[in-house]
Amino acid sequence: MNHTFSIGIGGAAGQGVATPGDIFAKIFSRRGLHLNAYNAYQSIIRGGHTFLTIRAGVDPVTNMGDTIDLLIPLNQDTMDRHLRLLGRGGACIYNADTIKPGEHADGVQLCALPVSTLADITKNKVAQNTLAIGAALSMMGIGFQALEDVIREQFGKKAPAVADENIAVARAGYDYATQHFQAFARPLPMTDKKYAVLSGNTALAMGGAAAGVKFYSAYPMSPSTGVLHWFATHGRKAGIMVRQVEDEIGVVNMAIGAAHAGVRAMCATSGGGFALMSEALGLSAMAEIPIVVIDCMRAGPSTGVPTKTEQGDLWQMLGAAFGDYPRVIAAPLDIADCFTLIPEIFNVVDKFQVPGLVLCDLLLSEGRLSVDPSVLNFAPPVDRGEMITAPNGHAEGGYKRYLITDSGVSPRAIPGIPGYTHVVSSDEHDEDGVLISDMFTNHAKRRAMMEKRMRKEQGIAAAVPPPTLQGPADADVTLIGWGSTQGVIEEARAQLAEQGITANQLQIRWLAPLHGDAILDLLKNAKRTIIVENNYSGQFARYLRSETSFVADGHIRKYDGEPFMPHHIVDAVREQLAGDVTLSVPSHEVMV
Amino acid sequence: MAATATPGPKVNRIGLPVLEYRGGKTTLCAGCGHNAISERIIDALYEMGVQPERVMKLSGIGCSSKSPAYFLSRAHSFNSVHGRMPSVATGALLANRTMMGLGVSGDGDTASIGIGQFVHLMRRNLNLIYIIEDNGVYGLTKGQFSATADIGSKLKTGVVNDLPAIDTCSLAIQLGATFVGRSFSGDKKQLLTMLKAAMAHKGTVMLDVISPCVTFNDHEGSTRSYKYMQDHEEPVGEVGFVPSFEEIDVEYEEGSSFDVEMHDGSHLRLKKLPENYDPTDRAVAVRTLMEAHENNEILTGVFYIDTQKPAFTDLLNLVDEPLALLPQSRTRPPKKVLDEVMSKHL
Ligand SMILES: Cc1ncc(C[n+]2csc(CCOP(=O)(O)OP(=O)(O)O)c2C)c(N)n1
Ligand code: SF4
Ligand SMILES: [Mg+2]
Repeated sequence: MNHTFSIGIGGAAGQGVATPGDIFAKIFSRRGLHLNAYNAYQSIIRGGHTFLTIRAGVDPVTNMGDTIDLLIPLNQDTMDRHLRLLGRGGACIYNADTIKPGEHADGVQLCALPVSTLADITKNKVAQNTLAIGAALSMMGIGFQALEDVIREQFGKKAPAVADENIAVARAGYDYATQHFQAFARPLPMTDKKYAVLSGNTALAMGGAAAGVKFYSAYPMSPSTGVLHWFATHGRKAGIMVRQVEDEIGVVNMAIGAAHAGVRAMCATSGGGFALMSEALGLSAMAEIPIVVIDCMRAGPSTGVPTKTEQGDLWQMLGAAFGDYPRVIAAPLDIADCFTLIPEIFNVVDKFQVPGLVLCDLLLSEGRLSVDPSVLNFAPPVDRGEMITAPNGHAEGGYKRYLITDSGVSPRAIPGIPGYTHVVSSDEHDEDGVLISDMFTNHAKRRAMMEKRMRKEQGIAAAVPPPTLQGPADADVTLIGWGSTQGVIEEARAQLAEQGITANQLQIRWLAPLHGDAILDLLKNAKRTIIVENNYSGQFARYLRSETSFVADGHIRKYDGEPFMPHHIVDAVREQLAGDVTLSVPSHEVMV
Repeated sequence: MAATATPGPKVNRIGLPVLEYRGGKTTLCAGCGHNAISERIIDALYEMGVQPERVMKLSGIGCSSKSPAYFLSRAHSFNSVHGRMPSVATGALLANRTMMGLGVSGDGDTASIGIGQFVHLMRRNLNLIYIIEDNGVYGLTKGQFSATADIGSKLKTGVVNDLPAIDTCSLAIQLGATFVGRSFSGDKKQLLTMLKAAMAHKGTVMLDVISPCVTFNDHEGSTRSYKYMQDHEEPVGEVGFVPSFEEIDVEYEEGSSFDVEMHDGSHLRLKKLPENYDPTDRAVAVRTLMEAHENNEILTGVFYIDTQKPAFTDLLNLVDEPLALLPQSRTRPPKKVLDEVMSKHL
């Protein structure tokens, strides 16, 4: 199986956990290694506990894995929480002046750095971090030059003296480790590949830019804020209108206004903000103005756990806004897919003039992944659907914005075109946009308009591919997941295979339309089906049952705020195959 | 194009008869103030010679918000959701800055459910005329008090309003709207003049137009009835307007008069103002409004104007053409920008 190497760096918020994380990520990706990074943190600006896991390997690294090879605790708290989880062959590099190791497994190497003798800690506040990075690199068998380059870049040309000083500190750590610590059994490999390291939020934003989004609006809310930051940083140069708006009601209505004027408009939020947007999704559907709304899920309900992940907003999306209307819901499968999905969903919503909803989650939004740059297509196909952007003389006086058609889609003229002026309305309306319930209600028209809009569902279903089964057809067990659990289930399957249990996987990316018949067909020969999801009630399991009557044999659910690790799924599958357990709720072994 | 070139009905300066500015037949109650406002909007658009297709009508929900259906059928219209017109308008006008935004809202739509959106809209100074058709009640839901109803005023049922009114004009002035006034649906001349001046302004115009609801709020004890307005309307001065395409007359009284040259060369002339009233001074405007309210007067006229502050769209990095009309080569970020972005991730 894919050999990987994981580093865990932890400390209090404000202690500089991010910087070593960034440095390792850069060095790994420049060695042509794949990597996956996940930061467990709290809703606090200083203090608290943050723990960053970076896992690298030659093959794609789809999740944070089960174990850590190298622990770098920046404070005692991190040492106490994580040391006991290191296994044989693992190592812990720590500041011997301030941190005491505790109980640990046999075969764990404790690497005590005499920080105050190696560096002048009165001058360099982050000396312990820099020394540890240097030491780590030596133990991983990476030449010092790689680190020197990254440090120089970090301080830029502006502060060469500071760069020199930090390089000297890093060097001291590197040399000390070479002399006193035992290197890891396998030096970190190197390939000639080149990967980009992206967070899901960055990928969502870049996907938007690639799709030709011209209007982005948002109100900050973790874990979606990174999307806003990307647009705020690059919007001006990229020619994208970016607005930070007073609340999510304003955010989504502004996006609708812009989309109404004919541009691609997008916004991102988390569950709480999405709740406020519900009303406007109805407007988008009724007025047939396509927009894309991203919900980066965090653990709910209410303010919930702002810095923890969950897949708990599916039913909110399925039920958002009152009344029946066609909607498109998709969940990206990994960080690269955060990029690819956006142009795809825009093409669908533009074509069918409906709201498009993207169910991302904290795990992807704030996680980081190495992505092959060739996967990032900045010129994906763009299909704006039937749009009228210039007067062509055909419609003079006779243009009907909501013309009843077989497909349910009516050609959409943007405002300001002579001959194509029209009324857009949140009230039920006739083909020309005029309300049908002012003096009396014309129920025949109401029915016709309702059916016109709902007919789009057929077209949408045809435009969106059904899911496929990954892995052997005749597997012992079929694991069903949706969205961000793709990678961890994939790795769990590989681990199960090593233990003699074959597993295949049905991973859902398009949630609405669901393609129920295709799913039933894929599952009809399954020996045992288990649905894996990051929520309490089995939101997808209930949705699948409501759409197809399909009832899975078992469930694996996690709702403690942390994502699945592969062994959680492996252990649960074994437990379910061995006995009559049908619901497993793995527990997270460490408080982060 | 000139009025004399074609025989037939009288036409305006762009050659359109007033008929072309009309809308559908109103379904509001006979005598509703909102209908009179629609009439004045038609007159103002006609007299200003506005190209109908260049107008984007926007509204929320309420009797008042239905009004856009009753004027300028040849324009584009967006009847949005209750209280959300400000953000829809912002998005639409940012994506297409060539359109003239004409928003119609109600006092419930603005000062109750939409107050959050309203205050943030006022801060933006977007190019938009925002009209509140203010009757002190929610007409469409059968006459409950709105947040602009005066404390102590009575519903037909005898219910007394126990909360102070929100003064949308004071709010708009404080928050950054650059043309703020109040009028009365029954004051044809003043309202028409103010609407025409509004159409010449660049930035946000906020007009609160008292518009009696004959069905639910036109009785004794109401402070938004026709009778109450006749007795208590107090113009802050006389509003005069000379559009850019008309010869400007030379004589105008110094002293209590105020002449403002607007962006397009039109002139707004405020005459017979109280001594020391300066319509470019926010503090004076707000104090005058508060004093009038304490004296149970409903002050009308143009209270505040600022022709210097740039409109929102001028502050943004916007191209002039509607964003939807940009070719695909310009909708995606330039390659140089993308390369620069990507270099940070490698
Ligand atoms: C979210 C929501 N809540 C309530 C309503 C019901 N409603 C429709 S219009 C209205 C009040 C309208 O008052 P105003 O804006 O003053 O308009 P008027 O009818 O007085 O002209 C209300 C409460 C609604 N349409 N939407
Ligand atoms: S109910 Fe009142 S506000 Fe509504 S149309 Fe009738 S008079 Fe006008
Ligand atoms: Mg009202």
